[in-house]
Amino acid sequence: MSRFAQVWRTSTVRLTATFIAIFVVFAILLMAFIGWQSSVQIQRQQADDIDSEVRLFQRIEATQGIRALAFALNRLSGQPGPGVYFLGDASGQYLLGNMTDVPPDVLIDPGVYSFDYDRPDPLGEDVGNLPDRRKRSGVAVVRSVELANGMRLVVGRDVVERRGYSAIILQSFLVGVVGIILFSVVAGGVTARRVLKRIDTIRDTSTKIMSGNLSERVPITKRNDEFDGLARNLNAMLDRIEQLLQGLKEVTDNVAHDLKTPLTRLRNQAEGALRDTASPQTRERALETVIEESDKLIQTFNALLMIARVEAGAPSGALTEIEISPIVADVAELYTPVAEDEGIEVSTDIAEGVLLRANRELIGQAMVNLLENAMKYAKPEDGSTGRISIGLEKIDANVVITVADNGPGIPEADRIRVLERFVRLEKSRSEQGSGLGLALVNAVARLHGGRFRIEDNSPGVRAVLELPQ
Amino acid sequence: MKILLIEDDREAASYLIQALDEAGHITHHASDGETGYAMASGMDYEVLIVDRMLPRRDGLSIIESLRAEGDKTPVLILSALGEVDDRVTGLRAGGDDYLTKPYAFTELLARIEVLARRSSPAEAATNYSVGGLSLDRLSRKVERDGEAILLQPREFRLLEYLMKHAGKVVTRTMLLENVWDYHFDPQTNVIDVHMSRLRSKIDKGHDTPLLHTVRGAGYMIRE
Repeated sequence: MSRFAQVWRTSTVRLTATFIAIFVVFAILLMAFIGWQSSVQIQRQQADDIDSEVRLFQRIEATQGIRALAFALNRLSGQPGPGVYFLGDASGQYLLGNMTDVPPDVLIDPGVYSFDYDRPDPLGEDVGNLPDRRKRSGVAVVRSVELANGMRLVVGRDVVERRGYSAIILQSFLVGVVGIILFSVVAGGVTARRVLKRIDTIRDTSTKIMSGNLSERVPITKRNDEFDGLARNLNAMLDRIEQLLQGLKEVTDNVAHDLKTPLTRLRNQAEGALRDTASPQTRERALETVIEESDKLIQTFNALLMIARVEAGAPSGALTEIEISPIVADVAELYTPVAEDEGIEVSTDIAEGVLLRANRELIGQAMVNLLENAMKYAKPEDGSTGRISIGLEKIDANVVITVADNGPGIPEADRIRVLERFVRLEKSRSEQGSGLGLALVNAVARLHGGRFRIEDNSPGVRAVLELPQ
Repeated sequence: MKILLIEDDREAASYLIQALDEAGHITHHASDGETGYAMASGMDYEVLIVDRMLPRRDGLSIIESLRAEGDKTPVLILSALGEVDDRVTGLRAGGDDYLTKPYAFTELLARIEVLARRSSPAEAATNYSVGGLSLDRLSRKVERDGEAILLQPREFRLLEYLMKHAGKVVTRTMLLENVWDYHFDPQTNVIDVHMSRLRSKIDKGHDTPLLHTVRGAGYMIRE
């Protein structure tokens, strides 16, 4: 019972049942209409036949006399078929015909009647004295008339045949309905079963995933139907979730490392300052270091929060259409003196009037990160002058910002890895920095629907920020 | 200067009150929004320091009510929310400046001193002069002792901002926000390099320097 209730609750089964019901009702209505129409048609046909036969007999009686009529009646009565005939004298006494017992009121008042009668076997002889067993009961539709000489003529049709026809319609109708119901139930059941099976598979998979096995995936069949489409989407979603969780785990590990290290230094400095043997100068220096370290921690923390907010979606609501050229030029201008002081040449090639749907602060911050990064590494190994070139151009529907240096570059294998949070290559471990700069640029690129990649500037790094307009 | 601090963190508040006292300011303290609002509208302060998230009534609604009543006292908003949109909401509510926690006390002090100055009427001068240095905002000319100094547009804006707040400490972040209109902390000494270029243009060859570096805080222009 519970199994049935469970199956009944599924929408597929209920939908199938509803359709079966509607289908059956329509089939019944259609068949009833056809049956009714044909019986009306048959009745009308019979009435016409009877009327024309009555007229024929009246003409025979009028033109050829009573004998000819009797002869014709006798012949027709002897033929097999639905025709019933009766000829009686003026008092209604049976003279001839294949119907003997006509109710008296039919004979008294001419008109159209329908009544039960005992039908003789059409092949039987001696019509007047048939034994009971040779009679069958029937229903006749008749017209009775009074002939010119006062005799009564009754012409009619046995309607048992007509009824037989109705019975055939009803029978085929019942067979049809039962067939339809059986077929629909089977077809519906099979469909529902198949659909339920597919859904059960998806539910089983999700149950496994909920219980912690995130590597589980919904199987995809070769049919490539809408369930496979759904399964593919679910799997893509699961891939993304798994990726995010993996990222979160890495970030947590890195946060633990990269925040605990400066916190430990901070604590050591504070402890050192409290030591009895510490001189006032040592204390002051320790406290200054404490402030410096906490400022660095705050910066790292801010950068982390910013990345998280950018990754979660637009931090400042919607992006707005802004001219991006001045932003790139401003940041270039902000950093050029610093670079020059460090002996690095900066060249710019910034296209004017480039518009972009963007967040000004984030693009500015990304530019700052790229430039600070470039400045750290624009020191060629052969000792020649460091160079940074900053570019902004429109390529097709993309705005492309490039910051290139001629430093040692990043090995190809690491070019994707450096975009992750807290990833710093061995060479740069000694350098200052949180390892968050490029991760933020990457997040900003994604927020703007664009891409960020590291290319080979041979020598050096070419950072390319490609944003769709 | 008479200051009202509306801040619910008692430890942060008592540190601020003490530090402001050492800097020569009188500070009143309210530890929740309702009390703060009552004090702000009942007494005359030169600057309000308002924490954004407060018990009983939030900081922004206090500022909005004060502004609706026509109170123009400069307000510095303190908040742990530091994103650009948070800052924009804060300033739109009627705040004059926005400082993200955690902050350095020197930063806060520099900002409230500039704010208090802003409310004084000498705001819209077209001409600034400090010592022998003069800056004309309309003709965009800078002279020192009658000698013209050629400045890049950005250097002009830097000097303009410093001279507008002559005698006050101006922090690097304030310069970045007001001269470049960016709200992030540059990790290297970018502002210092720009300042040293400006200094070489206005102080070079003169016996008395006008542009001073205030250690641990920022810069100041004075005689």
